[in-house]
Amino acid sequence: MVVSRRRVVQVLGGVTMASLTGAGKAQFWFAPSLTYPAIKVGNVNNLKNNEPVYFNYPDARSQGILVKLGRPAIGGVGRERDIVAFSAACTHMGCGVQYKGGRFLCPCHYSMFDPAKAAAVYQGLASTGLPQIQLGIAQNGDIFARAVNGLIWGRARNI
Amino acid sequence: MSNIGRRDALPIPPTNAEVKNTVCQYCTVGCGYKVYTWPVGSQGGLAANQNAFGVDLRNPQNPLGGLVYTETMHSIVTRKDGRQYHVVIVPANDSPINFKRDHSSRGATNAVATWSDARATKERLKYPLLRMGDQFQVITWDEALAILAGVAKGIRDKDGNDDNIVVKAFDHGGSGAGFENNWGVGSLFFKGFSVKHIGIHNRPAYNSEVWGSRERGVHELNYDAIDARLADTIVLWGANPYETASVFYTEHMQPNIQGATLEEKQRNLSRGEPVEAGYMIVVDPRRTSSLTIAENIAKDRTLHLRPNLGTDYILANAIARVMWERKYYDQRFLETRTDMAKFEEYKEKSLKVGTPYAQFMAEVERITGVRRADIEKAADWIAKPKAGGFARRTLTIYEKGIIWNMKNYDQVAAIVQMAVLGNNVGRAGTGCGRLGGHQEGYVRPPSPTPGSIYNGGPPVNVDKYLTDGKGKLYWVIGTNPYLSTPNNQLFRKRIRERTKALSDFLGQSGEPGTTQEWVAKILEGLDATNGLFMVVQDLYLIHTAQDAHLVLPASAWGEANQTSINCNSRLLRLYEKFMDPPGQAKQDWEICKLMGLKMAELYRAEGKEEEAKRFEFGKNWRTDEDVFLDGGNSYPNNAIPASEEATLPAECYKGVTYAFLRQVGQQGIRTPVRVENGKPVGTLRRYSVKFGTKDGKFSWYGTDDWEGYPEEVAKYLEGEKAQKYPFWMTTGRAQAIWQTMYNDRFLPEKMNTLPMPYIEIHPQDAQRLGLRGGDLAQVWNEEGNGTFLVYVTDSVRPGMIFALQYHHLGTSNSMTPGYTDPKTTIPWYKGTRVAIRKVRGALPDLQNSTSFLQQNKFD
Repeated sequence: MVVSRRRVVQVLGGVTMASLTGAGKAQFWFAPSLTYPAIKVGNVNNLKNNEPVYFNYPDARSQGILVKLGRPAIGGVGRERDIVAFSAACTHMGCGVQYKGGRFLCPCHYSMFDPAKAAAVYQGLASTGLPQIQLGIAQNGDIFARAVNGLIWGRARNI
Repeated sequence: MSNIGRRDALPIPPTNAEVKNTVCQYCTVGCGYKVYTWPVGSQGGLAANQNAFGVDLRNPQNPLGGLVYTETMHSIVTRKDGRQYHVVIVPANDSPINFKRDHSSRGATNAVATWSDARATKERLKYPLLRMGDQFQVITWDEALAILAGVAKGIRDKDGNDDNIVVKAFDHGGSGAGFENNWGVGSLFFKGFSVKHIGIHNRPAYNSEVWGSRERGVHELNYDAIDARLADTIVLWGANPYETASVFYTEHMQPNIQGATLEEKQRNLSRGEPVEAGYMIVVDPRRTSSLTIAENIAKDRTLHLRPNLGTDYILANAIARVMWERKYYDQRFLETRTDMAKFEEYKEKSLKVGTPYAQFMAEVERITGVRRADIEKAADWIAKPKAGGFARRTLTIYEKGIIWNMKNYDQVAAIVQMAVLGNNVGRAGTGCGRLGGHQEGYVRPPSPTPGSIYNGGPPVNVDKYLTDGKGKLYWVIGTNPYLSTPNNQLFRKRIRERTKALSDFLGQSGEPGTTQEWVAKILEGLDATNGLFMVVQDLYLIHTAQDAHLVLPASAWGEANQTSINCNSRLLRLYEKFMDPPGQAKQDWEICKLMGLKMAELYRAEGKEEEAKRFEFGKNWRTDEDVFLDGGNSYPNNAIPASEEATLPAECYKGVTYAFLRQVGQQGIRTPVRVENGKPVGTLRRYSVKFGTKDGKFSWYGTDDWEGYPEEVAKYLEGEKAQKYPFWMTTGRAQAIWQTMYNDRFLPEKMNTLPMPYIEIHPQDAQRLGLRGGDLAQVWNEEGNGTFLVYVTDSVRPGMIFALQYHHLGTSNSMTPGYTDPKTTIPWYKGTRVAIRKVRGALPDLQNSTSFLQQNKFD
């Protein structure tokens, strides 16, 4: 499902993020060099294991992919720490990756990324993992994209 | 959390950034790259007219063609002027090799592999180091070379020859080597010294790995990358290009299998010739990613042959026999282009035409384990004429699965003969040659070994010479034999024992303080202890260097101008200097020149003018280009017609200058170069008119019968040992890392992907041994041991494991035997028997951060 009506939330500082559950999750787990918007990309109650959700982040020209893996993942959120999101642009030459058989596969040159391991590239020509999109969850189960860890392919800066 | 620091913005080169052309330092493919450098403190803008890329960065780039600038393509270095500079190294957009700015995971890290004192590459050697007891102490070049020349001269003076001066040196291109450094190394050891105990970087002797082809009249680099796009069938025999020559696969093979080169075929091939999407045959004990990707694209046009280890030449001969039976050959071609007297020997010994076909094929099935129907299908795909009587076009590419197989000479010969029988060399869309591992750049004075056992060989096994206790000075240049030699565990122990014997002697009553006394005591110690004085010349303090007495810092790719050719098009290009080397590190050619001059100085002081002159080979080398031109002049006359190209050495570049190479840039020029009307002209494809023999005719050879396995491996197949060592082990490389990881071990991206050497094991075997992905396994036999990470995969068959050959934390070579082919002295790195057990416990942090998903599964 594509989230067509994104809700852009005011960003920055702890104020907005205070509405997200769990104090620990409100912290960035890396140091973004840019200022990112917080955008709603889904709701935990609508996610099914291994059924990916596509969304745009941090702007309309960049597709992200959200997936509940059903097993714990690096950077995973939710009760099972299994909800992760990444830029869907392959870090090799920018083709859109597919979520298939529990991993991300690029149909152009066959790079493969392990969603449970911060989308590390485990085969193929890509030199870095897919940029991981940090997620936060609000009390009502809404999932927000908050920042991107890694460079989105085709950009000199993410924003 | 992520255990690798990621970036979300990169510096943009301003319009006044310096722009240089270069070629990737790593694999055989030789992708073109552009380098942008500028002082830290400024940046370009996003608009196309505000940055040196000339690209509008306000909008995201288009996939498959837009600017590729990823996180690992930028770094900051310090130059000799003391200032910091940005370095951006991105795939070129004008290369005939890496179309659309394609690149591999190796090339993408060229920038982060540069030396910097602020990054992990600060481990680069800056100054010569001299062992003082248990430590290395920094010394100057003058001092280091005085000691080295003193020791070398002392050994020569005593022996009256160079038998005890033993060398192991690179002979390749790329990776900071290339024509300049090869000419430097060759001049020192073959012009100055007359060294005969010399081995090449990855093997125990000084030999071609493909004499089985060269002695037929076919140099191994004979096709062009375009042939992979034009071929009806691509055969990958013991070669896995998706992982080891990635862009050659993705830009030249994959499109052919996908049917994306039909228009190119129509344009380049004969009028009226039928064309269709390509077929692929993979001959490999593993289901490699090169195979499974092709299967994913077109299962019905992909064939996998999986011969028992060591039996490939029997299989190649059998495919040729089918071609003979089915008359898939051109009698006129055979008669005009090949030696028909020798053809009789080939028919008798290799094709065994005296044995009835059914009986022959039954025997082949028994030996190779490959079904007759598949062998016949392969012959059809390789050589069955197409509709309208057009000859089929097959490109056969082999690499280490053949070269480092048992019986190297016969393996290589069988494959090239199969190709030539089908007239599949010298035409568009054909060729039979190496995939290549590294790039090439060989130019040297004549070497000490003329050829295989049939041509004055075989060469001396230098590893064995050393482990047998011979040799006094051991000089290792640009290679890490503590990982790369066969029977590695024994080699390491023995070299350590011999170098330590000398170190201990030097420490008795205290190490001398003057150079003269130091040299004298080394010479005395070599005789007293049968020890070894070891010199390592390298970028880093590699494993081997840890036992050295003297360490010499070499400079790397990008720190000087250099030239090399790739393997898939013999494309010669200039790799321009864009940064300074660390400290006092020098190019290998310069170290060799200075060593020569130091030797000359010592001889001249004794009034030995003749000897002094021999060592002054480099006295006029001031620049990289001086060395390039000096080497180029050693090639024979190349002002000859195109029809005579087969007479030239494959890498001949006589007549080419740096100015010419700057002018042609990424387009380069294909060797062998000829000179027409005073201008250099390249060679697209070889052997279209003549083969590289004296009479120009292909020289057939009758291969040996199947004789079983050599003693070193056969011992594991009988009685108690067969129980104790129940697994076959084959070995090879991995996509993410380059060679011995000399750079990669410092890059977190690489170490996270492959934190340890690993084995692949079939799920059935894994279950039986209680192994899961991410566990550790001990692998061992009577030769040696290793600890490996486990990947569970159907890439290997039950009863066989694959082990990574080189990793900085271990090598499968510890278990490989000392066997070499008696015809060529080439080892069999890829086959032996081992035992395996699960190592108790686990490394949870590593299991958490590294992926153990199946690497050959793309569906």
